Amino acid sequence: MKRILNALVQFRNPILYLLLLGLSFFFLDNKSSFHQSQLEKYGLYVSQNLYRVSHQIGNYFQLKKINEKLLQENKALKELELKSKGIPLYPSALKVKRRFPFQVKTAHIIKNSFLNQQNFLIIDKGAEDGIKEEMAVITDRGIIGIVKSVSNHYASVISILNQDLKINVRLKNSAAFGTLSWKGKNPIDFQVEDVVMNAQLEKGDTLITGGMSSYFPLGIPLGKISEFEHDIQSGYYTISTELFEDPSQVYYVYVIENLDQKEINELKNEQP
Amino acid sequence: MNSSSLQLVSMFVLMVLLQVMLFNNLQLFGFINPMVYLFFIIMYRFESDQTLFILLSFILGFSIDFLSQSGGAHSIATLTIGFLRPLLIRNAFGVTAEIPTSFYNDSRTLNKTIFLALIISIHHLLYFSFVFFNWNAIYLILKNTLLASVFSLILIALLSSFYKKLNDS
Repeated sequence: MKRILNALVQFRNPILYLLLLGLSFFFLDNKSSFHQSQLEKYGLYVSQNLYRVSHQIGNYFQLKKINEKLLQENKALKELELKSKGIPLYPSALKVKRRFPFQVKTAHIIKNSFLNQQNFLIIDKGAEDGIKEEMAVITDRGIIGIVKSVSNHYASVISILNQDLKINVRLKNSAAFGTLSWKGKNPIDFQVEDVVMNAQLEKGDTLITGGMSSYFPLGIPLGKISEFEHDIQSGYYTISTELFEDPSQVYYVYVIENLDQKEINELKNEQP
Repeated sequence: MNSSSLQLVSMFVLMVLLQVMLFNNLQLFGFINPMVYLFFIIMYRFESDQTLFILLSFILGFSIDFLSQSGGAHSIATLTIGFLRPLLIRNAFGVTAEIPTSFYNDSRTLNKTIFLALIISIHHLLYFSFVFFNWNAIYLILKNTLLASVFSLILIALLSSFYKKLNDS
């Protein structure tokens, strides 16, 4: 017995080493199994608190990068959303594989104005990024304008805050359509004209793009009706509307291209 | 508790925190995390009780594992290096009479560098072997070992010169 104890004392270091090594292997084994060991949960709990401060600081510096990443992700989602909203326009779409002729790109507004009656803005993508004239510029909650001219790296856009720009819109709940234009004062106050009298209107109804112009796909939300009055003599409603998004305070935008625009224009020009 | 063990404990805690909070997130060139906590293993007095030292090195590795969710790889590598340290000391510093009392009491740069390189490379080789745990990843293991060792070596050498300055002044 004494000899065993002596041997234990003499070889205590290798024995301790092997014991602890076995313990380490036990932990390693636990790690690789499907169930995480209880111990690591505690470790996670402790380190979570430890990391929280450093993560908060680290995250702050990554915000810009994350924003860009989200913008890319949104771009893909936007494309899908526009696609799904176009379904009522083509009822047979669910049965056959349907073409969706719009393509989405991202851009940033680098100059914006809203003080003039004819406002223009500039985005940081140009011909080299595939921007062409007459492309539409939208955000997630509204439209911004239409590309007017393009240089290599920049493009100038006719803002929706421009009284020359008229946009085809419709109501979300009924198919009545009209023409949206800026009143010229507050950047979110717009009016819709030429809505026929027999359409049912209510305050708070949502306006969406009508899909009849070749610039914008159907179904981009624009704003809601704040007031309307009917003009008995002409037989049309005049609607005041408030945009969801103030076009003068936008930074991230999407530029969408209608791949069929040329085709549509050719057909238009053929008509007498 | 006397001042030397107080210093020991504070260095232990400092090394664990430094490793977990800072160096594990460093990711030089995307994948290199220098393991600076080996500084503790290197600085621990050479002629102290080996049993206690084995226990301490296990606890050190285990704390790192515990706080970085890395299974047991740090524990195994650090424990082994702690167990092998007397052997490595003899290899690096020569026969018994020439062994210094601790790492920073010695002035032979070559011997110190050999000692550092031995400890770091063996530790890293073990660590990456257990992290990948697959013979097919042998190239990856060797690459990681080599690159991480170089950076650990540089950082630990820097740290030890700071430590020496601090103690001398």
